[in-house]
Amino acid sequence: MTRLTGGVIDHETALRFTFNGKTYSGRKGDTLASALLANGVQLVGRSFKYHRPRGVLSAGSEEPNALVTLRGGAREEPNTRATVTELFDGLRARSQNHVGPLHRDFMAVNDLLSPLFASGFYYKTFMWPRAFWEKLYEPLIRHAAGLGRLSGEADPDAYDKGFLHCDLLVIGGGAAGLSAALGAGRAGVKVILADEDFQFGGRLLAETHQLDGMPATSWVTAVMAELAGLENVRVMPRTTVFGTYDHGIYGAVERVSDHLSAADGAVRQTLWRITAKRSILAAGATERHIPFPNNDRPGIMLAGAMRAYANRWAASPTRHPSDPVIIFTNNDDGHRTATDLLAKGVPVSAVVDPRSDAPTFGDYELITGVVDDTKGRLGLTSVRVTQNGQSRWMPCGALGVSGGWNPNVHLSSHHRSKPVWDDALLAFVPGKDLPNGMIVAGAAVGQGTTVKALRSGVEAAVSSLAALGIAAEPIDLPDADDTAAAQTAFWHVSRKGRAWVDFQNDVTVKDIVLAHQENMRPVEHLKRWTTLGMATDQGKTSNISALAVMAELTGKSLPETGTTIFRPPYTGVTLSVLGGGDTGKHFRPTRYTPTHQWSASQGATFVEVGAWLRAQYFVQPGETHWRQSVDREVLAVRSGVGLCDVTTLGKIDVQGPDAAEFLNRIYCNMMGTLAVGRVRYGVMLREDGHAYDDGTCARLSENHFVVTTTTANAAIVYRNMEFARQCLWPELNVSLISTTDAWAQIAVAGPNSRTLLSRVVDGFDLSNEVFPFMACAELTVCGGLRARLFRISFSGELAYEIAVPARYGNALLERLAQVGADLGATPYGTEALGVMRIEKGHAAGSELNGQTTAQMLSLGRMVSEKKDSIGAVMSRREGLAQDKRRLVGFSPIDKSEAIVAGSHLFTQGETRNTTTDQGWITSAAYSPHVGSSIAIGFLEEGDARMGEVVIAANPLEGREVRVEVVSPHFVDPEGGRLRD
Amino acid sequence: MLIPHPLLGLRDAQEFTYLGDASLLNRPDASSPDAAVAFFDYVYLRDNPAGVHRELWFHEQGDRSWLIVTRNTLTHEILNAELACESAVKSEVLA
Amino acid sequence: MTDLMAITALGAVAPYEFQIGGLVIRENTELALASLSLGRGQGAPTILGTSMPDVGQWLAGPEVSAFWTAPNQWFIEGEGRAHEDFAAIVKAAAPDCAVTEQTDGWVAFDVYSNDGFKPLEGLLEKLVNIDLNGFGVGTALRTGLHHMSVYLIRRSDTHVTIMGMRTFAAALCHALESTAVRLR
Repeated sequence: MTRLTGGVIDHETALRFTFNGKTYSGRKGDTLASALLANGVQLVGRSFKYHRPRGVLSAGSEEPNALVTLRGGAREEPNTRATVTELFDGLRARSQNHVGPLHRDFMAVNDLLSPLFASGFYYKTFMWPRAFWEKLYEPLIRHAAGLGRLSGEADPDAYDKGFLHCDLLVIGGGAAGLSAALGAGRAGVKVILADEDFQFGGRLLAETHQLDGMPATSWVTAVMAELAGLENVRVMPRTTVFGTYDHGIYGAVERVSDHLSAADGAVRQTLWRITAKRSILAAGATERHIPFPNNDRPGIMLAGAMRAYANRWAASPTRHPSDPVIIFTNNDDGHRTATDLLAKGVPVSAVVDPRSDAPTFGDYELITGVVDDTKGRLGLTSVRVTQNGQSRWMPCGALGVSGGWNPNVHLSSHHRSKPVWDDALLAFVPGKDLPNGMIVAGAAVGQGTTVKALRSGVEAAVSSLAALGIAAEPIDLPDADDTAAAQTAFWHVSRKGRAWVDFQNDVTVKDIVLAHQENMRPVEHLKRWTTLGMATDQGKTSNISALAVMAELTGKSLPETGTTIFRPPYTGVTLSVLGGGDTGKHFRPTRYTPTHQWSASQGATFVEVGAWLRAQYFVQPGETHWRQSVDREVLAVRSGVGLCDVTTLGKIDVQGPDAAEFLNRIYCNMMGTLAVGRVRYGVMLREDGHAYDDGTCARLSENHFVVTTTTANAAIVYRNMEFARQCLWPELNVSLISTTDAWAQIAVAGPNSRTLLSRVVDGFDLSNEVFPFMACAELTVCGGLRARLFRISFSGELAYEIAVPARYGNALLERLAQVGADLGATPYGTEALGVMRIEKGHAAGSELNGQTTAQMLSLGRMVSEKKDSIGAVMSRREGLAQDKRRLVGFSPIDKSEAIVAGSHLFTQGETRNTTTDQGWITSAAYSPHVGSSIAIGFLEEGDARMGEVVIAANPLEGREVRVEVVSPHFVDPEGGRLRD
Repeated sequence: MLIPHPLLGLRDAQEFTYLGDASLLNRPDASSPDAAVAFFDYVYLRDNPAGVHRELWFHEQGDRSWLIVTRNTLTHEILNAELACESAVKSEVLA
Repeated sequence: MTDLMAITALGAVAPYEFQIGGLVIRENTELALASLSLGRGQGAPTILGTSMPDVGQWLAGPEVSAFWTAPNQWFIEGEGRAHEDFAAIVKAAAPDCAVTEQTDGWVAFDVYSNDGFKPLEGLLEKLVNIDLNGFGVGTALRTGLHHMSVYLIRRSDTHVTIMGMRTFAAALCHALESTAVRLR
């Protein structure tokens, strides 16, 4: 045990957890990393490429090494950073990326082969022979690649999403963020304060600074208490703001119950979309390390992280309390780790500092020199220190390294704002053109001392509020330390041996040298050639060091060498939380027809049609194949009467004195001349002249029409009609509104339909004289229920569609089936509907596919020459007007053969290629009426080729069918049935 | 993005359906002798500027208004938003 | 009176009701609706004593309520009148306006809180992307909810009505209920 005293953990509350099956004890307030360190565990994983033993490097979300797999079974979660994993009782974790036990990884042989794995290794090695790529190389690489493994099971946890709106979003709850939130909170504006950590305070928790002579944690506690009491402030711990989007929109993930041992079905994580009028980025800074040979051993850690473990978590970085610690730093801040550790009773044997003028801050040996090698296979045992050309090995249990601090500018550059180099800070700071409304404060903008952080937070709050037109008084701030840490530009130790720059991707200084030699010098090339800065940590601890090495090699300055800008997410976001809470059948909403209940009770099989669930066919006892059901339904309609829910067709109410004129301009055919009480078929064109929707239009009164659209285009037609009304012809006096859902509409089709309907209407005369084909009326049914009746037919039979308020649709369908039992009343689904419309040669979605014209549908004469309408002019252009393909029917010569939709049509004996292509089959079905397969489709000059035999070729399946060109009206071509 | 709806204030762009260049408001006169050419231009030839662009947005999950939004396509800065019907009436008066 | 039996938007006989925490979600099957649009140059009418509210507003009146839905367009609400020909009643009161029956175009879920607005706020911020600061009593708006289109009406401090398209009722109900459950 190397647990120290103090810190902001609860020493009284022990939490038990396991790591690689062994049980340990931690404390409430620990992270998994701090608990492991406090138990003397330094070795936590293996590196990606060379399987090098690795330990904890950092104390935050920048961690490249300490990636573990949490939990097990379906809840297994790979690649979790131990440094941000809040410890809970019963936590189970195991290390990753090794074969066999962690301390004896059999894949460690890769380390010996490391000369083979230099940068560009994949690109160079797996080139030849070409055939090996798919079968051998790729599977091998895929097997070796990646760190943790997915469980492969469905995620059983609950996720949620939500939307927040505020005046000011403060990202980061350290000194700057807290003072900003407090300043704005006191001014009364709506503030959200988010931090990825489970405790607010940021570095204030990790340092021994005093505020107003008191420990900084006392100030943090007081501020958090005040913020909690402010109604207008929402404090969000465990919430990572991961992305900046347009106009003040931010993405954030709140880890709601990841830290609870028994989440008990509670939401695990919530995805928040935050809309903020202003934002303050107070994300702090990330420490850099200094590459030197063998700098990746367990026990080598960022100096600031070492200090955080000692001060906040009361954990020493060594395996044994008596092991001495050495610090290697190029700046004053690193010395602070030495003094803090000494204050905690941790032995510090030396601080190694390359600066000749480095000061001493405490009772430790100061060596002016560098650390240039280390020993200790599974944990650091000694380091080699070189001073004035003299080297000596010094035993130590942990080495703290500090190469300076990089402001966390990530969220400020998500809109391509390029960070700029600050020579005094030796770091990139946020540049110009920041995201709208964003101010960067504190260490994130290089204002790293406590006083500067506090002050810049308040100033940012005052400026933000001023931009909102609110004058806010700066709040009083506590007295604190304002000593800037002196540092020098010392980027790496140039010695023989592998010096790691990027720990997570096993990229060394040598790899960068190689990239330079191979001319992969621009930052973007360097990154892709070496894989530097990729994977879960996105190079938070390595990018700048790598740039510095490249700058040295090219002889350019660091800003000339370039910088990287960042994309969301700041840290990894699970796909589950991006998916939100709704999965499976709730992934997208379902629309149910008003007759769903009754249909289900009649054995309906349902099919998805867009969002709708429609009855596809009704299986009756004894039917074992869907075709039996569909054939029966078709024959029942043609011989008796069938019932089908057609509510899904879009219905648009069009009213006003100019409604008729408006519809004339919407439909390509004349609609304004439609008589009251009549229905007309209409085709709508796109402005480019192609047909895009068809349906019926009913005139209920002089100024009142009801337009029906296809199911698929209901929303699009409405949108286009509103476009025409508002944007093209605002002078027309017309109003539009959708009524699709208000009415349940049922098709009643077949020779017995009139008799059946006469049994439900209230004294309405259905005779052909009074209510002929294409008539419509408002009436009542079933004892006074208001209804609309349309005499229209999709099947080619005598048919009607009846509409009633949706709540009565189910009962009406049931009633029609009951009172029509003796007439053979049969419910039918979309399959039978489809078969019958093909038998009748009616166009549907397969024909109206966006490439067809009214002429091709043999509806060319419908495009009125007497008026302008959407698409009319363009439909007359040469290419469209001269298109000779026409919709015709096809009947197989061998009646036992089935025609397949999508088959292409060719003249017999002709070679088959795109130039000889004569058209294609759009729809095909087995027709129980004809007794064979039938089809419709577009054929070159089809209307003039009746009786010709052509080939319907289906090269995908290697089949072809000889078919005769026939009329597309397989049923009642004269249309007598629907008019009787 | 947020669209400053002239009646309803700032509304999330997810409530809107995007159409494109606001020149679609200027539908040619079908009776003019050069209608075929004019319609070809209207349907197919539109500018796609990297910069300030007047474009049509439909408030589909809202009040069903068509808006003309003036947006800088490089920065997504929105300079103006107005009801298309008002603009359409205005341009008619001017013509 | 018809002898056909009406069912709810969820296909049930009785209205849906769900209670969890401080929230009650209750389907209102008795709410009659009709849309009313003005023709060009027309002034807004008064329907059964209720004048037409301003942009984004809902207004309760002696017999009917109304909320703004679009420029020159409102929905008129008749509480407890779903079985009447409500559109005809509205049309009679405003014969020059375009009136369309909407009663069964929508499903209405009333959400009540027994503890002020806070629980409602907690529910709504998980469902709709609107600034609840501007959603005071008397506000009505349309927005998206789980890929569906809904009207939201703030009827009182503790009462919000969420209206969705009737055929989406099951999906909307699932969204409300599962979100309320996840709030605990």
